[in-house]
Amino acid sequence: MPGVDHCLQEAMTIPGAVGASIVDYTTGFPVATTGAAPNSDHEAAAAGTAEVVQAANSRSLFVSAIPHDLLEDLIITTAGGYHLLRMVQTEFDSRLVLYVWLDRVRGNLAVARRMMQRLADELVTR
Amino acid sequence: MAPTRTAAPGDLLTQVAGARQTGALMVGGHPGGTVYVLEGRVIYAESSAAPGVGELLTSSGRLAGRTWQNALDLGTSTARVGRLLVEQGHLTQGELELCVLGATYDAAYFVLADRSAPTEFVPGATHWLGPVVHIDAIAVDREVRRRIGLLDEICPNPLIDVSPVIPVTRPPRERVTLTAPQWELLVQADGQRTPADLAQLLGRAGYAIIQELRRMAAAGLIELPEQRKKESPEFVRLPHPRGVAVPIAREAVPVVAGPEPVARHPPPADPPPGENNAGQNRLPRLARRKPGAKLPKEFAGESPPVHQGTDEVLLKRIRTALRALR
Repeated sequence: MPGVDHCLQEAMTIPGAVGASIVDYTTGFPVATTGAAPNSDHEAAAAGTAEVVQAANSRSLFVSAIPHDLLEDLIITTAGGYHLLRMVQTEFDSRLVLYVWLDRVRGNLAVARRMMQRLADELVTR
Repeated sequence: MAPTRTAAPGDLLTQVAGARQTGALMVGGHPGGTVYVLEGRVIYAESSAAPGVGELLTSSGRLAGRTWQNALDLGTSTARVGRLLVEQGHLTQGELELCVLGATYDAAYFVLADRSAPTEFVPGATHWLGPVVHIDAIAVDREVRRRIGLLDEICPNPLIDVSPVIPVTRPPRERVTLTAPQWELLVQADGQRTPADLAQLLGRAGYAIIQELRRMAAAGLIELPEQRKKESPEFVRLPHPRGVAVPIAREAVPVVAGPEPVARHPPPADPPPGENNAGQNRLPRLARRKPGAKLPKEFAGESPPVHQGTDEVLLKRIRTALRALR
């Protein structure tokens, strides 16, 4: 039965994964973490993650372009790594996002995105 | 077995966690609540200002009220309600954990934010939900501090968190942009409902509600509690701004060291609603009297439900049913 810890363990098996967490983006709080975080600070990373998600969700107009559209994932690439954010859609009220940090050389963006999609879905459905 | 008392709830929690104790940290004041600790780790927290796991799951339509009630009936005595829901296939382990984590941090904010609230630790008490998550107590306390700071950055007026929400009649600007949660709040704010009422009604985290309200206050979309008191002293709810006026020294809740949740039951000796509403000991969450309701029934000792009015529950069920059709 996959719980939160299991989900993060699986996320770490994504090729190139360096660290993973589940972040509440209203408060910028890391609900669960594993592995490394940028600057070795999961809490700061979570606060940053929340700002990015909120910017995409409310301060930009991408998500409201089509009625009932939903933000699915955000991908940030840097020279040294990939940062993937996948929204976790629960039916009950929560605002959660799965974050995985990948090494640029070992990571594969397409594979990672597919795997994160599956993980985020499995967390809340069967 | 004598309950311990100290001043700050957060400090007592850290102390209890350090000694790897098991029990319930009961915090009075407004809104107050309880943090449950198992061998030094926080497993759950509840407060009247934050919807619990049951409210979150049923008001969203994730679980039918019947399913939740069945799990309560079966699992309360053995403190394994959470595990039952997963075993019976109603929830995934992930959903349960995320829901409990969210509800716990949400309630912990309301329980631990007021450092002057009367606190006691009842050793041995457990919660009927059972241990689903195990959170470091120091992390909980630290997160509560951080959340207080976040709110003050938006708009440093804690009265907003407990006062009835009153939208301004005329917005301060020609164009106003609202987020979806803010819209929901404005639609439901009837000038009487407090943030806690709105959180329960909408099935949303209490902290998230307060966050939006502080943003709306900063944008001038809802009235600031203090300002309103000064401007219209003859306003309908006269002397008692909700909550803040509840005497801090009042004994929190009758203590029961058992699996039954005690925090939400009001003491039975309330004055009948409608009369003397402004009495000294008025609880903040008395059920509103329905217009056509008959008095004698209430005098007969049938305690009226503490939750929202039946019409709200009914509306919620209709909403859930409509959603299912979509």
